[in-house]
Amino acid sequence: MFLISTPAWSSVFVKWSSSIVPPAQALGISDLVVSWNEGASPFVKQAHKQGYRVYIEVSLQQAPGAAEKGIELGLAGIILNVRQSERVGLENAVQRLRSAHPKLRLLVLNPDGKQPQMRGSLVIRRHSVLEVSSPTAQPWIDTNLALVKMEQTSHPGQNPLYTFSWEPSDSGLQRHTPATTDYALAVAEAGAFHADLILDVDDALQKALTENDSKAWTLWKQVRSYAKFYPDPAERQLEAAANVAVVVNELDPGDEVMNLLARHNIPFKVLRPADLKSEDIEGFDVALVFARPNRQVLERISDLATHGKTVVLVDAQGSYPWQNGQSVRVNEHAVSYDVGSGKVLEFSEPVTDPETFAQDVRRLVGKEHALMSLWNGLTTIAVPYGERRGNVKVLEFVNYAEEPLPVQVQVKGSFASIQYETPEHQCCESLVAVKNNGFTEFVIPELRIAGRVYLSVAPAHASDSTGVSSH
Amino acid sequence: MRCDKRRASALVIFFLAIAASIQSSVNQVLVYRKKYVMGTVFEIAAYDQSPERASNAIEKAFREIVYLDDLFSNYKPDSVLSHVNRSAHFHTETIPSDLYVVINQTLQFSKLSDGKFDISVAPLVNLWKAALFGDSMPSRSQIEQARNCVGYEKIELTPPDQITFRSPCLQLDLGAIGKGYAVDRAAAVLRFWGIRKALINAGGSTILAIGSPPGQTGWILHLRDPSHKIDPQIMLQGDSVSTSEQTAPSLLGKDSAGHIIDPNTGMPLKTKFAVSVIATTGTASDALSTSLLLLGPAKGKAMINGMPGVSAVWISPEGEMDLVTGGPQILFGKGP
Repeated sequence: MFLISTPAWSSVFVKWSSSIVPPAQALGISDLVVSWNEGASPFVKQAHKQGYRVYIEVSLQQAPGAAEKGIELGLAGIILNVRQSERVGLENAVQRLRSAHPKLRLLVLNPDGKQPQMRGSLVIRRHSVLEVSSPTAQPWIDTNLALVKMEQTSHPGQNPLYTFSWEPSDSGLQRHTPATTDYALAVAEAGAFHADLILDVDDALQKALTENDSKAWTLWKQVRSYAKFYPDPAERQLEAAANVAVVVNELDPGDEVMNLLARHNIPFKVLRPADLKSEDIEGFDVALVFARPNRQVLERISDLATHGKTVVLVDAQGSYPWQNGQSVRVNEHAVSYDVGSGKVLEFSEPVTDPETFAQDVRRLVGKEHALMSLWNGLTTIAVPYGERRGNVKVLEFVNYAEEPLPVQVQVKGSFASIQYETPEHQCCESLVAVKNNGFTEFVIPELRIAGRVYLSVAPAHASDSTGVSSH
Repeated sequence: MRCDKRRASALVIFFLAIAASIQSSVNQVLVYRKKYVMGTVFEIAAYDQSPERASNAIEKAFREIVYLDDLFSNYKPDSVLSHVNRSAHFHTETIPSDLYVVINQTLQFSKLSDGKFDISVAPLVNLWKAALFGDSMPSRSQIEQARNCVGYEKIELTPPDQITFRSPCLQLDLGAIGKGYAVDRAAAVLRFWGIRKALINAGGSTILAIGSPPGQTGWILHLRDPSHKIDPQIMLQGDSVSTSEQTAPSLLGKDSAGHIIDPNTGMPLKTKFAVSVIATTGTASDALSTSLLLLGPAKGKAMINGMPGVSAVWISPEGEMDLVTGGPQILFGKGP
């Protein structure tokens, strides 16, 4: 098992476009993001008075000018909106800005997030077509987990920060107004993934909040309770666990293989070939290599396989050292080579069916090495966290169906105590733990949108010894 | 037989409106809702002059599906079917009308298909399901043991509402018909509440149309085409279409499990075809699509030839195709 370091837990930034903003204390969120324009100054001053830390969102080209102005305005920071495809030279530009403005917080935003949701297969457009999504998009959830994992690799020194636009999805003829559950799900997803989110507050909701509409404030109260559920310093030392490495040259948020690994609750870490040099890869049970292997990658692949692990080389074209060893043709597209006590599987083509590939990866990991498994949880994503080289200690759950579902969970390790909390019912309900051959099984009776499970090898009354706060 | 139909096996396209029909449909509002139930995403799109009426009707239709899931589920330990699976070996059970009706219908499809369609295949499905999730492949003896439990003739129904298992290890799995029946019931609820134009989609495996979109003669649906060469289409108007396809084979392994199990061999069905069936009800299209996949084109065609209102198309990844048109005509966008 491998544990991925993240600098902090999750924060929600509110994106605001209205000219009036309610007090930060009422909103319950103190980080406000506004788009940069010349007329933003009065609003920034007003927002400061209302108790906000104000950030401006700018393009890379706007950043130097905005940074100068930002110092004058007393901004908390600048958020660089840079798509993955536009990131060549980004690191240098960020370094220059940081050197020039050391007191200004500088954050890189990935704007390519998608609205988290359970997706149907019908796509409705007026006067146009309605069609089902492709089988590779199954089964039916849009999640930002793969994007967050890519951001962790892309900017290891910054908590992943992303945003998304609300999609019209409730009706083919009218723009969908996000519901309470939609906001809650967005906040829960970012929180569960230990990422920061810029939450785009719908114009109508902004207006209603500024007009003190009671329904709007009832809605927001729930959103606020979700936002408060996540940024808990007590768990900051915990890191995302993963036992599958994905080695890629390009970080593409549209990568369906990673999206499907995420969807199938296969804990993975994204690496670039250069990361293999310094990365402690022995903790991975399976490595999926999509990058063209250079000498260094080849050495690391051989090392990993020698130590009993499985390496899958995708779209492998070339001669490799292990090809001199014993081989078995698995099927017309795959050959398996024995290397030490492990194996290298060469797959001669790119992955054309990510859904099947993800299921294959789960089988390659094997039941005995699976960090966790979910049953009846097709709309649920779980993310395991633990201390470096330690057991999983916390599982974060997100249910994209947005309504209560029972979820059966199996997690590696023997745990005596399973404590469960949600934004609606804070810590903690004890769940019945059943130990079974090195695994612990339990059932979450009703997972609505978000939930967190604390695992402890000690009985519940001694849970303080786990290092996890009991709230 | 399958435990859960391959999702999104049909490619669906329907044209909501054309310019010429705008005037006639001006008062029709489209309301769309989705819900996760029966292990899949059910979607209902309905046109009505009153969006409130459409919303309420859809909500009631979803409630009906949830109710049926509580009867039919073999995942939920407290479902009626789970209870029957635990106890009908020991004594006769009285069951709710919907469960009785659907089991009774399955027996008819079992007889029609010479036992290829068989809801008592559950022990084999469970055995292979574990293999799909990473367990080792079942042994020959395990398969034989499970096969001995299978047989629809061991299910005894006594009207109006009683069931007895004539085998100590019989287990039922309604995965091959439950969603189709649920779609029918949802359609009945929508009609009861005055909805005349709607489409109900059970995760892509069964889709039923009520009426047609405003200004259209039907709902145009693009069917599953693993070859991407044929683009089969139908125009649904009050009919249902279901699609069955075996789980895609492993990309990195030699042996593959699969969710559709042949009750005669006890093994996952080996077929390259996807089959889509159009019938007058969701129950029929759902059950027939599994039956026809298991039977294959030759025997399948013989089975449904002469069945009123039933059309079917088998398509392989290479573009081989077999067709029966006893119901709605199947059109081909790219030509076979």
